[in-house]
Amino acid sequence: MLEIKNLQVSVEGKEILKGLNLTVNKGEVHAIMGPNGAGKSTLASVIAGKQDYEVTGGSILFNGKDILELSPDERAKEGVFLAFQYPIEIPGVSTINFLKTAVNEIRQHKGMGNMEAKEFLAMLKEKQKLVQIDTNLTGRSVNEGFSGGEKKRNEIFQMAMLNPQLAVLDETDSGLDIDALRIVAEGVNKLRNKNNAFLVITHYQRLLEYIIPDFVHVLYNGQIVKSGTKELALELESKGYDWIKKEFSEIPA
Amino acid sequence: MSAVATKKDTSAKWLEQFELTAANRLGAANAAVLEKQQKAIAGFAETGIPDKKVEDYKYTNIRLYLNDEFALKGAATRLRQSDVRHLFFGGHATIVMVNGRFVQELSSLKNLPREVIVKNLFTVLKATDTGAGREFNEQFDEKASPMAMLNTALTQDGISITVPAGYDCKGPLHLLHISSGTDKVLYNPRHVIKVGEGASLTLIETYRSVELTEKTFINSVTEMIVEKDATLNNYILQEEDANVSQNNVHQVSVGTSGKFNSVTVSLDGKMVRNDLNVNINGENSEIHMHGLFVVKDGQHIDNHSLVSHNVPNCFSNELYKGIIADGGTGVFNGKIFVKQDAQKTNAYQSNKNILMGENSTMNTKPQLEIYADDVKCSHGTTTGRIDEEALFYLQTRGLNENVARKVLLGAFATEISDTVKDTAFRVLLEERIQVHIV
Ligand SMILES: Nc1ncnc2c1ncn2[C@@H]1O[C@H](COP(=O)(O)OP(=O)(O)OP(=O)(O)O)[C@@H](O)[C@H]1O
Ligand SMILES: [Mg+2]
Repeated sequence: MLEIKNLQVSVEGKEILKGLNLTVNKGEVHAIMGPNGAGKSTLASVIAGKQDYEVTGGSILFNGKDILELSPDERAKEGVFLAFQYPIEIPGVSTINFLKTAVNEIRQHKGMGNMEAKEFLAMLKEKQKLVQIDTNLTGRSVNEGFSGGEKKRNEIFQMAMLNPQLAVLDETDSGLDIDALRIVAEGVNKLRNKNNAFLVITHYQRLLEYIIPDFVHVLYNGQIVKSGTKELALELESKGYDWIKKEFSEIPA
Repeated sequence: MSAVATKKDTSAKWLEQFELTAANRLGAANAAVLEKQQKAIAGFAETGIPDKKVEDYKYTNIRLYLNDEFALKGAATRLRQSDVRHLFFGGHATIVMVNGRFVQELSSLKNLPREVIVKNLFTVLKATDTGAGREFNEQFDEKASPMAMLNTALTQDGISITVPAGYDCKGPLHLLHISSGTDKVLYNPRHVIKVGEGASLTLIETYRSVELTEKTFINSVTEMIVEKDATLNNYILQEEDANVSQNNVHQVSVGTSGKFNSVTVSLDGKMVRNDLNVNINGENSEIHMHGLFVVKDGQHIDNHSLVSHNVPNCFSNELYKGIIADGGTGVFNGKIFVKQDAQKTNAYQSNKNILMGENSTMNTKPQLEIYADDVKCSHGTTTGRIDEEALFYLQTRGLNENVARKVLLGAFATEISDTVKDTAFRVLLEERIQVHIV
């Protein structure tokens, strides 16, 4: 479903991703770990289509389509979703209102008509329940005055509403309390099926106890330097990144 | 060309017209008014039509929009109610003005409460039994803007609305100003709105063009008197054709414990210059002034406001927001004046703008003139671009760039439209704002 080949990305002249390869198939959950500043959020942003990043080489295919040519909204319509590491506040725009627009834009792209108000409300209720988000939050301006954890939960709520094929969760676990972490993870698990996939960026093994990944990758110095199964996360948890850094410090630019 | 010669050039035509139109002047109804008109034309002659050399018009050169080619009268218009009905809304009583004159046949007055007196200003001033005419122009002094003086001198008529003391006018009144015609005309409508002691009124003014084919300049003055304990909500929506420019003065006097709330939304027209001057003359009054302007390519919108705290213990708050698209020019000039004995004044002012495109311009000039020492006053202004992060966020949810931008600009505008208390008008505003933001 997602094929990233030799991806090279720079921002403001600084090279951040240096030939990254990653393949994600339908039905899989991939976890990406790695030290601060390794380029994890950069990867997430580039998948979502952020303009500030310059792709200097490589390709990203999504269902065989080169999505680097597409605008962020076109990617969303194709089924890509990004849960932001730092969700921003948008005063004056209510989450429900813009989601209604978003749901219909995506439906139109698929050649479907607008969703009936009743159907939309029913879906709203169902997804709110799924991630246990307070209706008072979704009725308010996007993330305005939300706590850190509330913002993260709102990201997952939006994901549930838009039902993407590929969801990139950028440190959704950081900022969530223990109960919220479990609720959000259970929500993700309920949304998992054999046609979608998740790319879960995290620093902590804890999340991966709930959302069990098929693969764990270590992103370091702009490349995926190590891949394994969930045991790799445990190893990182106990050993840290020093051994990785030592092993891969001599990466040619 | 010397400055003196320029002055002469632009005023000569109107001085001449003042003599020629004597029979049609408002002063023909009332000698006291005539005297004031003569004074005004003399005052106007000192500046003529203002250009950038006049300090208060530094960023708005009226001469670019009003020259000697304009006449004071055009051919008669023959609008039917079917031509204007679509501009009615909410079932509100609607007073239709065409080119500054009240047209009863086009109006819809069945919901107008009997208590509220609506008449031609000319008719009111013609009355012999009262002091009619005494109040006319009394709010203006020798420092009045040249355009207000020109209006005073040349005006022929307008509307007079009076809400008697103690009457709470529940339903809003819609004053629909229509520009229509096939000639290049300068109109000088003059309106007087009086809300008596303890009375209240919501006056919604909308400006539209109907069957208009030539350039039109509206030089309008509205005198508003809010008496002791009275409330006036004044909502304005300006949406004229690209042929229409306007200099629109609202001169407001507020009495003790009076409330004045204005919302001015300017969405269209070639040039719009609004002067909102509020004189707070009674203690414990409360003033809220909100504005939104959306300026597009080739348009110019200038909001000029003055709040004069003449007495102690009053509150005023002002927030104007602007969206200036590529090729548009916006101006905000807000002055807060606090007299020496106006202690315990609370006066706030804020202006926020979003610039779009490469060639959009915003000129902002806040002015505080404070002579009292025990006051709380503040002003702030920000002018920036649309929030790229927010735009990206919405795009990642599937909104294309244009839709996302519209959502964000709509949210920016909401803060202003939300202050409108009449639901029907608020809904209309939201709709019209969506049409104009791109
Ligand atoms: N817009 C930008 N301008 C300049 N430098 C940037 C920009 N975005 C990212 N970087 C730099 O790129 C590198 C990778 O950043 P990125 O946010 O992708 O790291 P990360 O792996 O997500 O880290 P963390 O675990 O702390 O979230 C960092 O050194 C960062 O400072
Ligand atoms: Mg990051």
